[in-house]
Amino acid sequence: MFHYLLKRIGLSVVIVLCALLALFLLLHLIPGDPATIALGPRATPEAIARYAAKMHLDEPILLQFQIYLFNALSGDLGVDVFSERSVTRIVLEALPSTLILAAVGLLWAALIGVPLGCISAVRPNSWFDRLTGVISVATIAIPSFLVSIWSLLVFAVILKWLPVIGAGEPGDLADQAYHLVLPAFAVGLSWVGYLARMVRASMLEVMNETYIRAAHAFGLEPRTVVFRYALKVAILPTITLIGIGFGGLLSSALFAEIIFTRPGVGKLIYDMVMNRNFPVVQGAVLITTGVYVLINLGADLVVAWLDPRVRDSL
Amino acid sequence: MIEDKLNRRTFLASSAMVGGATLFGLPLFARDASAQATKLIARTNGDISILDPGYMIGDAEIEMQNAVLPVLLNFHIGDDGVYGWQPSVYVEKFEERDPTHYDFVLKPGFMWTNGYGEFTAEDVKYTYERIKTTDWSGNFEALDRVEVTGKYSGTLVLSQPYAPFTLLGLTSGPAAILCKAAMLKVGEKFTTEFPATCGPYVFQWTPKQKLSLRPNPEWTGPKPAFAEVDVLIITEASAAELAFEAGEVAVTEITASTYSRYKDNPPPNGAIHVAGALQYMWLGMNTEHPKLSDIRVRKAIQHAVDAEQIIQGAYDGTTEKSNGIICPGLIGHRKATKYSYDPEKAKAMLAEAGVSGLQLELKTLNEQERVLAAQIIQSQLAAVGITVKVIPLDSGPFWEMGDDKKGDPKNLQIWLMRFGTNPDPQEATQWFTSDQVGVWNWERWKSDEYDALYKQGIAESDEEKREAIYLRMQEIMEDTGAYVWVNHEPEVVVHRKDIKVDVLPSGEMRFRAFTKA
Repeated sequence: MFHYLLKRIGLSVVIVLCALLALFLLLHLIPGDPATIALGPRATPEAIARYAAKMHLDEPILLQFQIYLFNALSGDLGVDVFSERSVTRIVLEALPSTLILAAVGLLWAALIGVPLGCISAVRPNSWFDRLTGVISVATIAIPSFLVSIWSLLVFAVILKWLPVIGAGEPGDLADQAYHLVLPAFAVGLSWVGYLARMVRASMLEVMNETYIRAAHAFGLEPRTVVFRYALKVAILPTITLIGIGFGGLLSSALFAEIIFTRPGVGKLIYDMVMNRNFPVVQGAVLITTGVYVLINLGADLVVAWLDPRVRDSL
Repeated sequence: MIEDKLNRRTFLASSAMVGGATLFGLPLFARDASAQATKLIARTNGDISILDPGYMIGDAEIEMQNAVLPVLLNFHIGDDGVYGWQPSVYVEKFEERDPTHYDFVLKPGFMWTNGYGEFTAEDVKYTYERIKTTDWSGNFEALDRVEVTGKYSGTLVLSQPYAPFTLLGLTSGPAAILCKAAMLKVGEKFTTEFPATCGPYVFQWTPKQKLSLRPNPEWTGPKPAFAEVDVLIITEASAAELAFEAGEVAVTEITASTYSRYKDNPPPNGAIHVAGALQYMWLGMNTEHPKLSDIRVRKAIQHAVDAEQIIQGAYDGTTEKSNGIICPGLIGHRKATKYSYDPEKAKAMLAEAGVSGLQLELKTLNEQERVLAAQIIQSQLAAVGITVKVIPLDSGPFWEMGDDKKGDPKNLQIWLMRFGTNPDPQEATQWFTSDQVGVWNWERWKSDEYDALYKQGIAESDEEKREAIYLRMQEIMEDTGAYVWVNHEPEVVVHRKDIKVDVLPSGEMRFRAFTKA
C-alpha cells in the first residue's frame, strides 16, 4: 500500500507541474501584447510599463517561468494586478462556494440515484427498472447548462418560487440554502442517472455472488442483505466514478455559477477571463486543478484500501 | 424479497411526497416585491478593482464614487438635449472668471466619515493637484494649480485656456474629491476601501457578489429617495435581464437585442430609458494601402455602403445613424453626410478609377453585431463589384493591427471600428490629428487645417464658434474618403415603472439622484 501511495502521489505532482507549465505558456500564447490586452487599448504607456513590471513580462521567458514556478510552489500565486489583492485569498474566498455547490449536487443525486439503482437491480426488467433506465439515460443526456437555464426559467422567472441570482445573504444560512436549491438541482441531475446505472450494474453482479445467496439462505432480512452486504461491495466502482467525475461536476458547477450568477471558482475564472485578469485566472485554474487531483487521489486511495487487487495495477 | 418494506410503491409514494412538499412549499419562500420599496436593487456588470479615482478601472467604481464622494460639478442635460454641467449639492457658487480661472465656494457643514472633519477647499486642492500625477491625469493636464482663498473657497487656475475642462474634467469620474487628511494617513493611494467619504451613503463590499450603499449617519445634505442600495454584480447581461423579469433587480443595463425586444413590448411594470449614445462606429480605410490610395476608390466605397441597412440588419433598428465622430447631444454633432448611398455612382467612380475585380480584407472584432455588420458590408460591396473577405479578430490582435509599433498597418485595408467618447467633442477629435498616424489614426491621413482646428477647438469657449470648428473637422475627415459613418450605439436601461432613474450617457448610474416616480 505504501508503494502504491508513493507512486500515486508522484503522479499527482507531475500532473500539477504540467498544469503549471500550461498555465504559464497560456499567457504567452495569446495573440497580442498581454499588457495591452489586460489593460485595454487606451491604457497609458506608464500603466502598461507598470503592469509588465508586476508580471515580470520584461524579463527573459525562462526567468519568468522560474519566478512563477518558485512563487507558486511557495504558495504565492501573485496579486490581482488591478486591486492588488492576493490571488490565493481571492480564490480561497470563492472555493468553498463551489465545493458546497458540487457536494450538495452530488449528495442529492446520491440520495436519489443509489436507491433507484438498488431497486432496479433487485427487480430487474420490471417496469420500474425500465422506467428508471429511461429516466437515467435522459438525465445523463441533458447537459447541465440546459437544466440550469430551464429550471431558472420555470422556477425563478415564471413561477417566481426560487431566486434567479446570487448565493444569498452572507451569514443567513436559510437564505443561502434557498439560493442553493436550483443550482444544486442543475448540477446534480445528470448524476442521478449515472449513479443509478452504475449501482444497478454493480448490484446485479454482486447479487449473484454465493455469499449473497448464503445470506438469503440464512434467513437475513432482504433489506439487510441488499444494503449491508450487497451495496457495500457494489458501491466500490461508484466511488471511483465519483472521484473521476468530480472534474465534470466542477465544470457543471461553472455553468451553474455563471447562469445563476453565484460566486464561486467557475464564475471567478469566467469573469477574470472576460477582464483579461491573467494572474487570477492562472491562480484559480491551478487551485482547481489541485483540488481535482486531490479528490482523484483520495478516491483512488480509498478504492485501493478497500480492494487490495488495485494496489498492484499502477 | 424486500417488497414488504422497501417496494416500488413505497419508494414512489415517498419520493412523490418529498417532491410535492418541496415544490408546493417553495412559494412560501418567494420574496415580497414590496421589500424593495426602501431598498433599491440595481445591477452592475463587474466588480470593483480600484476605488481610487486616480487609478480606477471601470463603471462600478465611478458609480460608487458618485454615491459617496463630493464633486464640484454634476453632469447635466439641458432642455435642448445638449450636454452641460451644473454646480453640485456641495457647491455654493462656481463661475468662470476668465478662460483660465474658475472660482468656487463650497457650502459649509459637510463632514467626512471616520472623524476626518469638514469638507474644505484644501481637499479640492489636494485632490486635483494629485490627480495630475496619476493614471487619469489626461483631463487635468491644463490645470496648473488650485489656489485656496478661504476655508471653503478657491480658484482652479489653468496653464492655458481649455474649453472642455468643466465638462471633461470636473464632471468625470476622476473629479471625485478625496479627503486630504485621510489620504495622507493611508499613504496617498487606496484600492477597495475608501479612507473617508462624504455623501448620503457609506460603502460596503461583498467581493464578487454585491456593492452595498447604506445610510451615512453624518450626512447633512438632501436625503436620497432610497435609504439603501444593493448593486448586484451580474456579469452577463442576459442573466441580469432575467433577474429583472423575475423582479429581483429594479434597474439594469440591457443589450441591443433586448432593447429591440423591449422597445415595442416592455416587460410588465418595466420601462425603457435611453441614457445617451456616446459611441461612434465607422468603416475605416487605409489611405496609404495601394488598393485604396486612389481617393475615387474610397469615395466609391462611401457610396456603396448603406448604413441604414446595417442598423436594421445588425442592430434591429435600435441605433442612431452616424454622420461623423461627434455623438448626439454634443457640440458639433452633424445632421447629415455629404455622400449618399448610391451603388450606381459607386460603380461609375470605380470605372473612372480604372479599378475592376477589387478584392479587400475587412477586419472586425469578433463580436456578434460587428461580424453581422461586416457581412452586410460584404454583400453591399459585392453589389458594386468589390469582393470582400471578412476577418474577425480577437481583441488582442484587433487593437494592435493599425499600430506602427505592434501591428501591421501597411497591410491593413478596411476595418470596422468603434470608439467610445465622453461629453465633449475634443475627446473624439483627438485621435485623428497628424501625430496620431500609426497610433489611433489608422486611416493614415494628415491635414494641417485639421491639426490647427483641433487646437482652436480646445481653446475656444464660445459655443457657436466651437460648433463650427468641430463641424469643419468632421467634414475634413469625410473628404478624405476614408470613412463610412455607421452608427451611434445607445446605453439603454430597463427599470421598474415606479422608479425614476438617473443614468449618465456613458451608462453609469447616479443612485443618489434616483427618485420614486
